[in-house]
Amino acid sequence: MTNAAIHPFETMIVVISRLVKNGEMAATGTLSPIPAAALLLAKQTHAPDLVAMIYGDPGLRITDGLHEFFGLAHRGLLDLFFLSGIQIDRRGNINLSVIGDYEKPKVRLPGGAGTNMLSMMAKRIILFTIVHNARLFVPQVDFVNARSADDSIPWRRGTLSHVVTPMARMKYDDRNNAIVLDATYPGHSVTDVCAVTGFDLGVEGRDIPQIDPITGEELSILRGDVVAKLREIYPLFCDMVWGAV
Amino acid sequence: MLLGLQAGACGIPFTPVIGLLNSDYLKIRPDFKVMKDPYTGNDYVVVPPIVPDVAVIHAFMGDRTGAVITDNFRNDRLLAMAAKKTIAVVEKLLEPDEVTAGKFGVYVSSFHVDAVVVAPRGAHPTGCRGVYPLDRAHMAEYMSAAKEEGSFQSYLEKYILGPENHEQYLELVGSGGAR
Repeated sequence: MTNAAIHPFETMIVVISRLVKNGEMAATGTLSPIPAAALLLAKQTHAPDLVAMIYGDPGLRITDGLHEFFGLAHRGLLDLFFLSGIQIDRRGNINLSVIGDYEKPKVRLPGGAGTNMLSMMAKRIILFTIVHNARLFVPQVDFVNARSADDSIPWRRGTLSHVVTPMARMKYDDRNNAIVLDATYPGHSVTDVCAVTGFDLGVEGRDIPQIDPITGEELSILRGDVVAKLREIYPLFCDMVWGAV
Repeated sequence: MLLGLQAGACGIPFTPVIGLLNSDYLKIRPDFKVMKDPYTGNDYVVVPPIVPDVAVIHAFMGDRTGAVITDNFRNDRLLAMAAKKTIAVVEKLLEPDEVTAGKFGVYVSSFHVDAVVVAPRGAHPTGCRGVYPLDRAHMAEYMSAAKEEGSFQSYLEKYILGPENHEQYLELVGSGGAR
């Protein structure tokens, strides 16, 4: 297994893990195996003092499920949370409700759940997506479940930090209120990434680097201790990426 | 939604929520209003309480008084407290003294539960933490059947309408009961 080619989700896990700061209090919600793995990896590498609350982790001792998680966020105790969307636009608006008109949608989706509140109350948000295409990254979302920043709300605590996809790392440029390309992964050029993004990634005149290569240490910790722990929480995802045990 | 249930559980007429301001939720939900916090002067969205007519929850165990133990990752206790009537489906029926929360459980008092239904493996095809896992093969079958009306109807007839009782259902899905 150690010699197997790096899976795009493994790259995402490493890229997200590097964005996690030591000492942060971070949490992941439902259906978030990639961020969960990233937190576990960060804690075993550069962020030993990270507090990682992974929803679904049998080792997590709580009483009131998401109500308890959300209470921590309300009170400003969450530094970092992870969200995703079915549509994301240049301003960082997130849609999880409908494709098309709300009353006559092409597709109706489960909705945003705690996305709106968490986007406002966690100090920073990292968005992760398991695909990168122009159906996801659109000029304007069909429904705004959450905004990535909003100066008009005095009690809002946080903003979007980064967007991590299987092709690239993007960041939120808060001077221009826009998502811009930050780095690409090996095998994906800036041109490739821009071609499958439905809005301008602000690359003109900027030198966009490739991410630092994934180290042998990162990969061995990820495929060792991190996957072993992740199997307790996300068995189906682990079977898909690393095979069944 | 959780704060709406919290308001329902406490009998509060409406509740401010954190979030929702400046989102499209306000376009589709006329019952969500914006109100000034009388203390800080800041705007917040307020929502009505959620009071379900009936809540059905799944629990690890329960007793004849109606007390049950639910999963601590879920908010079934809140739901039971907010709903007018709560039906708890339990994996096993025990004596009241044996109904204790343990590592993953939350004690829900009989005050909040109206009926207890004993159904081992009653969460199938989803799992019950620490008792049995998700039935992956059955979930795959369901997801494939649910894509089209015809195949969904066949699924309903085979698994839901066909079996005369829970035991027959369990036999049909191939477990032979609790494991």
